[in-house]
Amino acid sequence: MTAKPLSTAALVVYAFAVALGLGVGSAYWALAGDYPFGGVAGGPWIAWPAVGSREVDPYARSIVTRRADIPLATGEGLVLTAAADSAGRQLDSACTYTVGAVTPQARLWTLTLYDQDGGFVPSELKRSGFTSAEVLRDDAGRFGIVLSRQLQAGNWLKLPDSGAFTLVLRLYETPAALGTGAIDAKTLPTIERGECA
Amino acid sequence: MSERGRFLLATLCGLVLAGIVHIVIVLAVPRLAENDAYGRLRHTASAEQAELVTVSGSLTWLPRPDPAVAVAACVFDLEDGPLRISAKAGDLFQSLSVHAKGGSVFYAVTDRAAVRGELELVVMTRRQLDEALAEEDEDEPSRDVRIIAPRREGFVIIRVAAPFPSLRAQAEETAKAVSCAVEGSEGVQG
Repeated sequence: MTAKPLSTAALVVYAFAVALGLGVGSAYWALAGDYPFGGVAGGPWIAWPAVGSREVDPYARSIVTRRADIPLATGEGLVLTAAADSAGRQLDSACTYTVGAVTPQARLWTLTLYDQDGGFVPSELKRSGFTSAEVLRDDAGRFGIVLSRQLQAGNWLKLPDSGAFTLVLRLYETPAALGTGAIDAKTLPTIERGECA
Repeated sequence: MSERGRFLLATLCGLVLAGIVHIVIVLAVPRLAENDAYGRLRHTASAEQAELVTVSGSLTWLPRPDPAVAVAACVFDLEDGPLRISAKAGDLFQSLSVHAKGGSVFYAVTDRAAVRGELELVVMTRRQLDEALAEEDEDEPSRDVRIIAPRREGFVIIRVAAPFPSLRAQAEETAKAVSCAVEGSEGVQG
């Protein structure tokens, strides 16, 4: 029984080690990725409308300050992010994709392609995204943007040389931002995967 | 108590404490973060004119910026008085949003709300509003759009969209032209 006092001290140390390890680890994990709560999905796109409002949750606030981000406010518009195609497969720059053909009503929208580190992937013509004014449309007002590493005719965005990428659709001054947060997938562009190298 | 019971008790204590540590860290990050948007914009605090955050063709600290949008910012500390933001609406999409230090947006407006091409807002604390209301002439109420800030420190973000790259320079000019002036206590009546 001489080991008992030592054992108590060891248990206290153990309890604190568990507290610090799990507490710090879980907090880091929760703040390292996407916003954990309030995500609204529509097809391959996901938005976090509450991040741009007063009702932002503590996790989202911490993530915004950690990233030094400046979220788009609810009244300004809505940011939709896609990291997977319409079939749920992760976006891979080894493949080609077609994005189209409609977007929700908005005064202006922009579609931007970012590499893994959040950087632009400018083409030789310095294009890293499209705005609703720039994109070429057919007679019905529908559009298709091709994403590939090789130059294509028409609406084309260059993919990075390797790795995953992200698409961000920003709807400026859109009624969708004012709604309850439900987004109809039919009003959003689809992301169809073509051939993969 | 058996050795096993004591071990379980210690584990349980550790888990409860881990939960507390987790919550404390999540709540403390917005307060302690030095490199957040406010921290990076703070050096512009004395400027009366909005300063560009994104300059075309160069890297910015802003994560995943929109290449078609010029972003300018004014930092404020309402200790010295309310902040009057004046913007001129043009043909381009323009939005103003007011952010509190610590990652929350508390007001946003677009150029659609402009009156005769002018957008004007006054950001103030609850106390400054009470003072302004007390000093106000009842027959001539102020027409200012007054916004109550949840805390003294924050920043204003101006976004101007350039639908075509050729409009980029115009968008940047429009964003930079927004003024953010601290009002003295006598100027509160507007």
